[in-house]
Amino acid sequence: MTVPNRRTEFWTGVRQELPLQLGVVPFGLVFGVLGLASGLSPLQTILLSSVLFGGASQVVFAQLWGGGVPAPIVGASVSVINLRHALYSASMAPYLRTLPLRWRIPLAYLLTDEAYAVSINRFTNEPAGPYQHYHLLGTGLTLWVCWQIATITGVVFGATIPDSWSLGFAIPLTFIAIVAPAIRRRADVVACLTAGTLSIVGQPLPWKSWIILSAVGGILAGWAVHIHDSRRPGQ
Amino acid sequence: MIWIVMIICGLLTFATRFVMFSDIAPKALPRWLQDALGFVPVAVLTAIIVPAVIIAPDGGLEFAANARLPAALIAVTMALLTRSVVITIGTGLAALWVLDWLVY
Repeated sequence: MTVPNRRTEFWTGVRQELPLQLGVVPFGLVFGVLGLASGLSPLQTILLSSVLFGGASQVVFAQLWGGGVPAPIVGASVSVINLRHALYSASMAPYLRTLPLRWRIPLAYLLTDEAYAVSINRFTNEPAGPYQHYHLLGTGLTLWVCWQIATITGVVFGATIPDSWSLGFAIPLTFIAIVAPAIRRRADVVACLTAGTLSIVGQPLPWKSWIILSAVGGILAGWAVHIHDSRRPGQ
Repeated sequence: MIWIVMIICGLLTFATRFVMFSDIAPKALPRWLQDALGFVPVAVLTAIIVPAVIIAPDGGLEFAANARLPAALIAVTMALLTRSVVITIGTGLAALWVLDWLVY
């Protein structure tokens, strides 16, 4: 068996990433529309997609900033939402840690949910290769390019889309598509119910701090149940 | 001002992605931290979904004349059945349009 070369690894990543763009591109379009609707300028909306490069955190950034929320709360909310990337970073690290920094920095920047999901599959299920990092470059760049084009298209053409299409509803729908199948254990149910309840009960709190409250509350509640359940095997 | 906040948020986000790639990072995250971080997506995304579905534009709760609620429940069902992002978004939006037109 021949070892895949740089080009094979890269284009395999690109090809495997492309089907996921069916969900990514509408989300990017909607983000472009929502950024403007939240009061960001076209340039700010477009650059947010490359500076943050994380859909959920961009939506929250735009809504909080547009709502006049103080900067520290915006930063804390974005950070809580993006904490999950530390898990991806940990899971990818064994395959990438020996690379020079000029590789590790761009690959970390490109490490999003969708690129991670595809490339970790290659790293764990295919034989290790000297150029396997080109796979993550392929998935990451594919997603990056599609995300930027979708955002710019949303910014440019967003004003022409009638409100009656309710395209903003695509954002919670995207998250429903991610969350619903991910709820497997009792602890996941508790995390979900706690976060959902706090996000409503916390609405009167200042600076939209219900986002941080319900995220942290949901994480802690799920984790507590997980600790409890893992001490009693068979539950 | 917004640019400074954007760049700081960008750096914080990059840090969460780079943290375990750094030379000084431990070989693995401690088990307890891995367990806790595993609940981040469910907690964070639910906290965005629920208000987007049941909070009205004026800030109040909205149950009765709210087509987003049944549309979201249909989307949850489709997500569980198909596990497809495209089908979930497509069905959810279509349900919202049909319900808006028919009922509400």
